[in-house]
This record gives sequence, structure tokens and C-alpha cells, in this order.
Amino acid sequence: MIRVVDESKGFRIRAATRGDMEQIVKLILRLKKLNEEFDPLLKVSEEASADAEKTCREALETKKESYVVLVAEDKDRIIGVIMAEIRRRPFYEPKVSGVITDFYVMPEHRRKKLGENLVRKATEELKKKGAGVIMAEFPFQNKIASSFYQKLGFRAVVGIFGKEE
Amino acid sequence: MDNSAGQASNEGGNPDKNQWYTLALKYAKHYAGKVEVLPKVPITGLKDFSYWYTPGVAAVSMEISKNKDLSFELTGRWNTIAVVGDGSRVLGLGNIGGEAALPVLEGKALIFKYLGGVNAVPIPLGTQDAARVKQTVMALEPAFGGINLEDIESPKCFQILDDLRSSMNIPVWHDDQQGTAGASLAALINALKLTDRRLADTVIVLFGSGAANIATARLLIAAGADPGKLVLVDSKGVLHAEREDMDELMLKHPLKYELGIKTNKIGVRGGVEEALKGADVLIAASKPGPGVIKKEWVSKMNHDSIVFALANPTPEIWPWEIREAGARIIATGRSDFPNQVNNSLVFPAVFRGALDSRCRTITDSVVIAAAEELAAFAEEKGLRDDYIIPTMEEWEVYPRVAAAVASKLVEEGLARRNLTKREFYEQAQMIISKSRFIVERSMEMGYIEPLPGDD
Repeated sequence: MIRVVDESKGFRIRAATRGDMEQIVKLILRLKKLNEEFDPLLKVSEEASADAEKTCREALETKKESYVVLVAEDKDRIIGVIMAEIRRRPFYEPKVSGVITDFYVMPEHRRKKLGENLVRKATEELKKKGAGVIMAEFPFQNKIASSFYQKLGFRAVVGIFGKEE
Repeated sequence: MDNSAGQASNEGGNPDKNQWYTLALKYAKHYAGKVEVLPKVPITGLKDFSYWYTPGVAAVSMEISKNKDLSFELTGRWNTIAVVGDGSRVLGLGNIGGEAALPVLEGKALIFKYLGGVNAVPIPLGTQDAARVKQTVMALEPAFGGINLEDIESPKCFQILDDLRSSMNIPVWHDDQQGTAGASLAALINALKLTDRRLADTVIVLFGSGAANIATARLLIAAGADPGKLVLVDSKGVLHAEREDMDELMLKHPLKYELGIKTNKIGVRGGVEEALKGADVLIAASKPGPGVIKKEWVSKMNHDSIVFALANPTPEIWPWEIREAGARIIATGRSDFPNQVNNSLVFPAVFRGALDSRCRTITDSVVIAAAEELAAFAEEKGLRDDYIIPTMEEWEVYPRVAAAVASKLVEEGLARRNLTKREFYEQAQMIISKSRFIVERSMEMGYIEPLPGDD
């Protein structure tokens, strides 16, 4: 059981449970709305809410061995979430990666190292599941995410370009 | 409603809006411009140009080339500012472009000269691109002792002001932000005195979150208001840290995002109606009323409540409706009602003080000093519920505020010129009276023609 308590800042980090699902879905939807700001190809679909629930169910129930989901809590309210997935890497070394796909902290709780703590804890958990490299996915134009990860020692590795057809 | 509007305007003996429009157009045709450049040195013959211009002027240029600050002593730079706009948000008219903004900028220049003795040059720009606006204004620095930005749309105006303030060595001011915020603060200081409140304990609702109220929120916090007790309300309702559009604001309107995080720790949710329940103060700078704010909402405020309905040309709610709703202190943006919160009380004096001290920038604490002096002036005259801020007719207030501004700038180490408050006051008074005297004499002599009558 993961438990990071930082009483001084009034939050704690723990593994997500099924009971957290409703709140996690809300945060994931906020994240997708934020992503939408960066590119028209990231326009949030009408089924986004159902998709978020489906992903959460997979991550917390049916395929939980392939996921790490941590939440940050402030007095029983979830104020941040990080979701990462174990992915094989054919052709490359190391062979297994932990990919941070969804990561969101409520505005009021930003700039307090909470995000940094979430990434560090998630990294530990992903390593336990065999990840030899940690990757993070976010919109190319998201300069805030880019500088956040760079500060934690990440660098740009692959790029995905897109074009409407 | 229309009837009451007519009544209200006629009470003050003022024509209604349509009549103002007719007169303004007629006079604009007659005078073709409101300000012009005049010589201020004697010319008795063409030989005088040998020192006003070549060859003599080269000596003056050479001196300045050795020390750029001498341009404040040896040229008119010390008393000249640019009134710069991009025409992107002119009055309530919206984006009408540079040429159409010119009459407004000229009007502003006229007020600068008449009330502050400041030579203001109207400069509408041919671009609305934020980066080009910044570049252009920065390139104007050698000509001016200060820059007044005007009618630039929000949220672009915030970044433009902040960037220019930090990169230029002369004061940059955006009147739609700082002027209005300064006047609101002055009125609020006295309204709080009359109702026996302290700023830090007061719950203040800011309705409308354009340039004026965003700046007012910032200034109130700088002046000691508790950010947690400020509640901003915009077209989407009460602003709070968890609002759905916070991330969008983070990217598009960082200042509003910051306020979203800092303000409203009292946990208000909903719209303006919910926000007003139990609130002490309402400062509305949203859209022209009447009917934008309802009486029933105001009636839910705390006892002895304070309401500023600042939209022009018609306040969000009529003053008599505010009174009927039980508020005690009422202010609007109009001269035909008591307690006019008017940026014209602020900007001429702020620039007079800024120029007289040859300052490098104007900080929030300088705006606060101006507001405090305005408030003190009204207090000395005797505060009443219908007199919390001086009127524009009380012209002695301008040198007072100018001296307060200049002294604050000296105190903050932002002035190039260090005089006593008394000296600053005397200088400001002299320059402002001279300016008014020249207009009076020019009218007497017929150089400025009387207003044309009915043809």
C-alpha cells in the first residue's frame, strides 16, 4: 500500500481504489478539456465521459496489473490523479516502459510540489512492475507540461505529428 | 425605465445621449481636432531659428548624446506623453480600429492638458497584434516622458502593460485598468470609513471581469484587502479555483486564473445573486444597464452596504433602485449622479506627479498613494454618504494628488528628480493653472472660437 503523507501541505498520496472512480473521472475529463486547448485534433468527444469510466475500470479492475493509478487527497477530496500504463517496447531497450497517460492536479493545489510527488511515487510503482523507462504523453503545445517534465529530468524522445484529412 | 432615464438626465440639466452625439459631431466638424502643437519659445525673426534649430541645436543634441537623461532637461520630453491605442476596444463600441479611436485619444489628450497640464500626443496604431503594439510603443521611448495606453482589449491589455512596464524606463499606464481601479479604491476607502469597516475584513463582490475589475481586484489586494474575501463574477458566474474553465483561463488569461486561485476562499458558488448574499461591497463594472443588476439581489447584501455601479453610459442598476434596495452608499460612473467614480480624477494628476518627478515607472503603491490622497481630500471637505470622492470641478485636488504621487515615487526610489512634497505641489499647481489660463486667454482672444450656435 502506497502512502505518502505530507501533513505540512495538507495532502496525502495513495493508490486509487474503485471508490475513487467517480472523482477520478471528473479530473480526467478536466485534463482532456485542457488538452483540447492545445490542438483541434484533441477536441473532446461526446463519449469522453464514458471513455474515461471505461479506462478507469480497466486500470482499477480488469487490467489493473498493467496500470498504476495514484491519487492525491486533501481531507477526503481527491485533488490530483496520475494514471500510467505498463507498455512493451518492441525493438528497443529497455523493453518495458511505464507511460504516464493522464495526470491532473486541481488549480488550487498546483505549485506545491504535489505534481512532482505524484510523478516520483508513480515512477517507483512502475519500476516495481518492471518498467525500465518512464515516459509521459501530453499535447505537443503544452509548454507547461514540457517544462515540468524537463525539470524532473525528462527529455523529448518521440514526437507524434498529426494532420486533418 | 426609459422615462426614468430621461428624468435623471434632465435633473442635472444635461442633454440625453442622442443630443450629446449630435453636438459632438457638429463640434468635431467645426473644430476639426481638439488639440494642437504650439510654440513655447519667442520668435521675433527667422534668425531665432539659428538656436531653436540649426546650427545651434546641434550643441543641445551633442549634450544629450552624452547623457540621455538630459533629454528630460533640454527638451519638452519631461512634460510630453503618448496616448496610445490600437482601437481594439473603444468605449462601449468594440473593435473599431485606429482611425476611429482617434477622436477618443484626442479627447483624452485634451483632458490631460486641461486638468494635468500634460502635453499628450494622440497615437492610434495601425496594428492590433500584441507583439507589434509592444514593439511600437517601446520604440517611442526617446520621445516621451510617459505612455498612456488606452482602449486596448482585455485580456491582451494585461500582458502588454506588464511587459511594457518592465521593459521601459518611463512610466506606462493603462487607464482602463489603473485609472478606474485607482478611482474605485479612493471611493471605497471613504465608503468604508463612513460604514465603519476595515478593508481587510470586508467582503467585496466584483461584478464584471474586464480590464477595470481585474485591475481593481489586484489593486485592492495590494492595498490590503483579503483576497479570500474578494468574489469575482463574470458572465459564467462566480469565479473560483474549481471552475470548469480554470485551465482555459490559465492559458488565455493568466491574471484572471491567478485571481481564481487566490480569491473567494469563502466558498461562494453560483452567480451574482448568490455572491451578493451578505456581501459588504459590490463594485460592478460589467455592461450598461439598467436591469443588469436586480434590486432583489442588492437587498440581500449586508446592512450598510456599498454599491458602485460603474457601467457607462448607464449604470447596471439605477442609483434610486440601489437606494430602494437598502444600500447605504451608492456611486456610479456618471457626473449627473452623486459620487462619480471617474478615472479623470486620477490620470491627469498621476501623470503630473510622474512627470514632475521624472519617474521610471508607476507601481501599485503609487496608485494607492493617489487613491489615498483623493480620499483624504474628500474627507477634509467633509464626508457624506453622497460625497465620498471629489468631483472634477474641485480642481485643487489635482496638484494635491500629483504631489502625493511624486513624493511616493521619490520614496520608492523611482524618481529621477527629488523635490519636497511642497515643491512638487507648487510646481504641479503652477503648471496646471498655466494650462487652464492659456485656454481661458485663448478663448478671450478668439484664438479658440466660441462653440458654434444653431445654424
